[in-house]
Amino acid sequence: MTAVTGYWNRLSVPSKVLLVAIPTLVVLGAVATVALAILVPPLVDFLAANEDLVRFLLAATIIIVITIPTAFVIIYLELKVIARMNLRVGPDRVGPWGTAQSLAHGFKFLSKEDFTPRGVDVPIFTLAPVAVFLATIMGLLVIPFAPGLVAQDLNIALLYFFAMGGLSVVGLMMAGWASFNKYSLIGALRAAAQAISYEIPLTLSVVGVVILAGTMSLNTIVEQQAGSFLDWNVWKQPLGLLIFFIAATAEANRTPLDMTEADQEIVAGFATEYSGMRYGFFFFAEYVNVFVISALTVVLFFGGWNAPFDWPFPVQVTLDPASLGIGLLFLVAVVPVLGTILLALPFWLLSSRISTLQALAIGFVLFNLLAVGALLGWAFISFDWVVGLLWMMLKSYVFVFVFVQMRATFPRVRVDQLMGFAWKWLLPAALLNIFVTAIAVSLVANG
Amino acid sequence: MTTPTRPSLDDPSLAIPVEHAGIFDPIPVARTERQREFYALKDGELLLNIGPQHPSTHGVLRMIVKINGEQVVDLDPVLGYLHRGVEKLCENADYHQVISQVDPLEYISSLFTEWGAVLSFEKLLDVEVPRRAEYIRVLSAELNRVASHMLYLGWMALDLGGITPILWSFAERDEITEILGALTGQKLLFNYFRIGGVNGDLNHEFMSRLGDWMSRVGAQLEAGMGLLNENEIFVRRARGIGVIDRETALRMCVSGPNLRASGVPFDIRRAHPYSVYPELDFDIPTRQEGDSLARYLLRMDEVKQSLRIIDQCLHRMPDGPVSAKLPRLLRPRPGRAFSAVEAPRGLYSTYVVSDGTDQPFRMRIHDPSFVHLQLVPLLMPGNLIPDTMVIVAGLDPIMGGVDK
Repeated sequence: MTAVTGYWNRLSVPSKVLLVAIPTLVVLGAVATVALAILVPPLVDFLAANEDLVRFLLAATIIIVITIPTAFVIIYLELKVIARMNLRVGPDRVGPWGTAQSLAHGFKFLSKEDFTPRGVDVPIFTLAPVAVFLATIMGLLVIPFAPGLVAQDLNIALLYFFAMGGLSVVGLMMAGWASFNKYSLIGALRAAAQAISYEIPLTLSVVGVVILAGTMSLNTIVEQQAGSFLDWNVWKQPLGLLIFFIAATAEANRTPLDMTEADQEIVAGFATEYSGMRYGFFFFAEYVNVFVISALTVVLFFGGWNAPFDWPFPVQVTLDPASLGIGLLFLVAVVPVLGTILLALPFWLLSSRISTLQALAIGFVLFNLLAVGALLGWAFISFDWVVGLLWMMLKSYVFVFVFVQMRATFPRVRVDQLMGFAWKWLLPAALLNIFVTAIAVSLVANG
Repeated sequence: MTTPTRPSLDDPSLAIPVEHAGIFDPIPVARTERQREFYALKDGELLLNIGPQHPSTHGVLRMIVKINGEQVVDLDPVLGYLHRGVEKLCENADYHQVISQVDPLEYISSLFTEWGAVLSFEKLLDVEVPRRAEYIRVLSAELNRVASHMLYLGWMALDLGGITPILWSFAERDEITEILGALTGQKLLFNYFRIGGVNGDLNHEFMSRLGDWMSRVGAQLEAGMGLLNENEIFVRRARGIGVIDRETALRMCVSGPNLRASGVPFDIRRAHPYSVYPELDFDIPTRQEGDSLARYLLRMDEVKQSLRIIDQCLHRMPDGPVSAKLPRLLRPRPGRAFSAVEAPRGLYSTYVVSDGTDQPFRMRIHDPSFVHLQLVPLLMPGNLIPDTMVIVAGLDPIMGGVDK
């Protein structure tokens, strides 16, 4: 026993790690191989039999994975952009340039007390944030992020989206009524009034697009805008875009139309009595909503995933990883080691102040960066959906940025001005837009 | 032998019964006819308590608002959360100490409260103030007026939901605070004026900071005001809200910018001149509309006039002492004196009675914010809840002065 302990103690730290890691990995690999051999055939059969389910689950997972960090990014963006517009620096403590600030916000919400005041209607009070959050997330399911990357390609996707948008107001009403607080009640009633007023111009503003496309499927609407940026709907529906954007601002409860949570008037509106993660859900839903509205604007009017122009130098990579066969193993096993050593060599040779271990570490980091870059580049060239996703995100963030800038720039409109604007200006303008579009379409169709 | 009992406000036998239809509130106990009328809710009405802890009440103003939907039916301001008994404190301090007691009344523009006290004591003592001291007083006070009005700009915008203007105007205010800090040694409650002069001459840091600031203040002010003056949402929300006509303004003893926004060109600096204001060249801006927008724009005009005054003070600053020679302990002759200064919020006046000792026998302070707050229940009925904030912010009360 002492011999083994003595031998172990003489080993260096990397050797200890390797000595533990290699047998563990071998055992784990063996277990995994056996398990896969037993489990895979029935699983493959099952998945092959339910292709739709697989597609749905995969796309839904990818979309959730893309969107949840998006909310964090938007929160950070909002903190930072508004700070710059306010002559402030903004968050700069958590993470590099304060980038982990929204994560810290998230942990703060999780660690705070989830307080239920006396007198509230407990079941409804508890369910309200869930209702708001779910309604927002469900709207995501029909938005096409890239070719093939849409959770459900409904033929009434637009209708479904607005139905889900309307559903979040039910959650706000639940929160406002169950809170047993006058500010909450006023906020909820404002939310209901605002939703009823702005749902109508919002829905009517996209009728022009629907007439042009002849379908409500968002996937088809995007596909019809393929080509250069001149083919986008924004040139055919400028008035529709304007109405849609204003109404969507009200629908997402963003400044200057955020009557429901006007903190100078009714403290925090429907969310006054909420704390901890329940408030976090409202908070989170708001930012996901901003992203969803921006994405829908892009899908309807700015060509969705389509690039604004074709890349003038087409690059073709006809590399099929499967054709490499046993060469793939060689690539995975040998190239990293060789690459690391090759990249470490110049540092090791050129500077006597860098030790061998440091040079190897630098080489390892550099190689990994290069490998990730190469992998992304290959994916970018080989898969349509990577390019599509990139363009979609880029365009969406332009509108997210506009929303954030609006918040820092405008004061809030008054509640009666808000209603008056919806009914006196937006609704007639939306009807006019439909009328003109219908006439134009029928003229073009008939000669 | 029974001890005589004083009537208590908590005595249930004094309560006047009210008809009450609210579901949220415990039934309130009315003490007066006005309260009985206020608390009797009709169908569809709701009592909403705004403040003293609320994002947009200035300081600790509490308003009980009776609303019908979004519309304000009636309003009852509740005061006294910041009451310190300043007048009584002044009666127990000697004449020099009074200056620091009145400082926190208008804590945004505390040089004017000092000036009011100092001016009345000088009248009582027949002190001649050196001309250089008078010029320094005008210079520092007008700087303070600019700082106060910049804060007004920010608050007004913040109460309307705009988050950027307050930080822009605070950048301006911060510079003035630094400048006055270099002169007085304090940044908020300056305690700088003395009976018969000021505490310390102009120094190098003050002059260099002031010169630096004066060279770029014009462009900065234009940028800050440009955020609001041409903002359609802001203008639409402030225009026509809380209109005070000329007669109401005079009847309710309104003064200062709020009075001048209603078309009465009354400014103490011109009507009853004090200090060296007669020698200085400046205009009294007035506006006819009397609404919140006019009150806002008028203050921005006043900022420009204040900058003119500061410029003239710097050019005409005479040499000489900055303080009159006075004994440590002041015992004025028995008598009374009254002084009024034009504070950023209006007529700030001090009435002091001396009985020949080293402490004031009685000191009465008239603060414009208190008078202006009386207008809120008059202006509010018929407006909406969001207008509450516009009207209160537009009148610009300081709760330190209201509650005294």
